[in-house]
Amino acid sequence: MPSYAMAIDLDRCMGCRACMEACKVENNTPEAAFWMYVFRFEEGAYPDVNVSFLPRPCQHCDNPPCVKVCPVGARYKQEDGLVLSDFDRCIGCRYCEVACPYGVNYFNWKHPEENYYLDWDDPELEEVTGGAVPPYANPDLGQPHGTEGRNVAGGGNTKGVTEKCTFCVQRLEKGLLPACVANCPVSVFAFGDLDDPGSAVSTAVAGRPHFSLLEEAGTKPRVFYLGENPISRESKQLEEVRKRA
Amino acid sequence: MAQRVGTYTYGSEPTERLPYGIGRVTGPWLFAAALAAGAFGFGVYAYYRQYTEGEVITGMRDIGTMGGTPWGLYVVFIAYFVGVSFAGIILAALIRLMNLHQLKPVARIAEVLTVIALVCAACCVLADLGNPIRGLLNLPRYARPGSPLFGTFTLVISGYMFASLVYLYLDSRRDAMICARVPGRLQTFHRIWAAGYRDTPAQRRRHYTASFWLAIAIVPLLVTAHSTLGFVFGLQIGRPGWHSALQAPSFVIMAGVSGTGLLIVAAAIMRRALGEQERLTGEVFRWLNNLLLVLILAYLYLWIVETLSSVYQGGEQEVEVTRALFTGEYATLFWLVLALLLSALALLIAQFFRPGLALVAGVTAGVLVNVAAIFKRFLLVIPSQTHGPLLPYSPGHYSPTWVEYGVVIGLFGFGTLLFIGFAKTFPIIHLPEAEKERAA
Repeated sequence: MPSYAMAIDLDRCMGCRACMEACKVENNTPEAAFWMYVFRFEEGAYPDVNVSFLPRPCQHCDNPPCVKVCPVGARYKQEDGLVLSDFDRCIGCRYCEVACPYGVNYFNWKHPEENYYLDWDDPELEEVTGGAVPPYANPDLGQPHGTEGRNVAGGGNTKGVTEKCTFCVQRLEKGLLPACVANCPVSVFAFGDLDDPGSAVSTAVAGRPHFSLLEEAGTKPRVFYLGENPISRESKQLEEVRKRA
Repeated sequence: MAQRVGTYTYGSEPTERLPYGIGRVTGPWLFAAALAAGAFGFGVYAYYRQYTEGEVITGMRDIGTMGGTPWGLYVVFIAYFVGVSFAGIILAALIRLMNLHQLKPVARIAEVLTVIALVCAACCVLADLGNPIRGLLNLPRYARPGSPLFGTFTLVISGYMFASLVYLYLDSRRDAMICARVPGRLQTFHRIWAAGYRDTPAQRRRHYTASFWLAIAIVPLLVTAHSTLGFVFGLQIGRPGWHSALQAPSFVIMAGVSGTGLLIVAAAIMRRALGEQERLTGEVFRWLNNLLLVLILAYLYLWIVETLSSVYQGGEQEVEVTRALFTGEYATLFWLVLALLLSALALLIAQFFRPGLALVAGVTAGVLVNVAAIFKRFLLVIPSQTHGPLLPYSPGHYSPTWVEYGVVIGLFGFGTLLFIGFAKTFPIIHLPEAEKERAA
């Protein structure tokens, strides 16, 4: 059984947000849901300005507050380290959302099919899409996944359930890397088996000092950040995504 | 007045009419019922819209990039309704365990209030869930005791409600038996309720013993049930301002404040509506007022301790939340809650010196503390979600929409309907004991 983990090299990240885009395409997440999100910070005043970036996937904590609070066991931790959400079991109480200090959960406030950026029933659009709604859906999603074979992959399942980053469980099963990792143009991410000393994540973490987000919260994240922590008292987001569902 | 009621007591001849206007629909009652039914209907419509369109039509949104609050008005009112349920249990316990028999006339009002409040709380939970039907199925099927919500569903909503219903039933069989002697449409209903109870000394003793032990069992349930609701917030490190050991005791005390306050109001309304000035005396209200006074003082103490311990050390996020409360977005509401509680306190202290004011002061204070209780729950649930996020998201915002207000108003209408419906089918105040019973 592998022990999945991710390392994020902050010195490499240039804030292009290609990972956010890749995640959306792979997981078909509804509008305004960002399973992967990249903070873009600005510090100081002109001409002494420092800009830094910080990608924020789900931290897949080893001591996950969201799993602890779920009243029905829809949110659970797999043996391989992934923290997943069973969309068939979730009752939509959103306790995982308020419990998570990282803010990685997204609730389906609408019927997902009505929440894909464009009005797909628009006649003009229908001419282009040929009536397929939404026009693209990842065929890998919507089947049993993970070591427990539960409905956990992809976004936009049903109204009224909470969804979040899965480390692309459907890709891992095929031996592929998560979409954000595979699509980063500057190899910010290293992903792999923490138990294998030769894996990309093990070598990345072994070679350099690293930190986790909100270590003081005791959540024991499986996402390790290399480089300097850009979050400080003065951290201001350069241009935040504030889209509401 | 006492004599009129006295004719319905045990041992007397069957009479034509039931006490307290049971079964006789009057104009004012119809008006109140229509108003409550209208509110309930509006709530049902609002919920229908939410159920079909999704919770996008509420003011709630995701925490983080969406800058919203996943928990809103529904969670505020779950806490409020569960709080109100404090009334029945504490009264039952006080009467049984401390022999405060002068409070007996309000006991049934309090027990009915408890059951109705818990029904409303359960409905409010369902209104909050994204998948209510799945909630009903999965909560029992996959229940996880590790979740703080487990206590809300088991101890509070099921256990507490079940215990209250049993207590209410045991305590009401005698009155059902008396009512069942009066011929009329409700006779069968009262006969079924009485279920063969004849008020023999053996039966009475058995009921007394059973409800005595139930009262003893209920007191720890009271503390644990309200505490578990506090744990829903108090155990979370993810939101600044929630993680506190005082959360559980604060919930117990605040429940007492709102429950006792609403009990005073309901008792005063029933006293007026049923003309029971002689049995619901100033002494009853003075007793309840003093209980409320002590509970408000205890709550203010806990509040000050909690605020001080979260701010003194100067934790960045805690301070941000507190700043939003003191001077920021929530300042108006924050100081209003404090003013309401202090005004209620002043009124209750005043009636302490002027016993004649007991009723007026009690009712006013009861209304004030209930408004304060609702706002205070809002100030607990919302600011910790919008302000002081642990990762540098920008401050969020929450304003409820008409749907959430509609559902909550509907629940109040539903509760009122249940309460006045009960009052028209069953004696809402204990029927007085006959002379020979009292002597026995």
